Amino acid sequence: MSRRYEVVYIFDASREEAQVNEALDRHHKLLKTDATPEPVVNLSHWGVRTLAYPIRRKETGYYVVADLSTEPPQLPEFERSIKLDESIIRHLVVVNEGRVSPPPRERRDDDDDDDMRDDDE
Amino acid sequence: MRRSKSCPVCEMGIHWLDYKDEKTLSRFITDRGKILPSRLSGMCARHQRQMCIAIKRARHLALLPFIKVSA
Repeated sequence: MSRRYEVVYIFDASREEAQVNEALDRHHKLLKTDATPEPVVNLSHWGVRTLAYPIRRKETGYYVVADLSTEPPQLPEFERSIKLDESIIRHLVVVNEGRVSPPPRERRDDDDDDDMRDDDE
Repeated sequence: MRRSKSCPVCEMGIHWLDYKDEKTLSRFITDRGKILPSRLSGMCARHQRQMCIAIKRARHLALLPFIKVSA
């Protein structure tokens, strides 16, 4: 059963875009399975951004957000290869919950206490 | 800051707080970079829980600071 994941990479800003793409291809290849021959659903390059605090004495990083579809057993090897990659200074892998959640419920006029259970209405 | 009567995130019409949206999240940190308690923001419990995780993820990705040092 395949799952959707969202991965954010922060690359060393001194790397060329070609190097970044080459590294991404190399890591994403590890996610290929019979059920998910095309693991990359969406790839968005944010480009170079200033970091909120220096990481490894670097002030800027090249951000890439990837929406991936793969099977859970592929992940440990994938994360291992990311950790070993010197050009990636930080990464985050999260399960993509879909985010297509239902719209917020209708607000009642006296709705200032959300801790109250709904069943005592 | 006085507690507002209703949840600011519900009022914005946002159902899910995204950790990549540091502009929205930065509204809910203090000037030192701490997470604002719901006691002050009036945020509902569900959004406070979501926001807490979102801010911690954003900090890991250097989108938000862990601490802001005042000049």
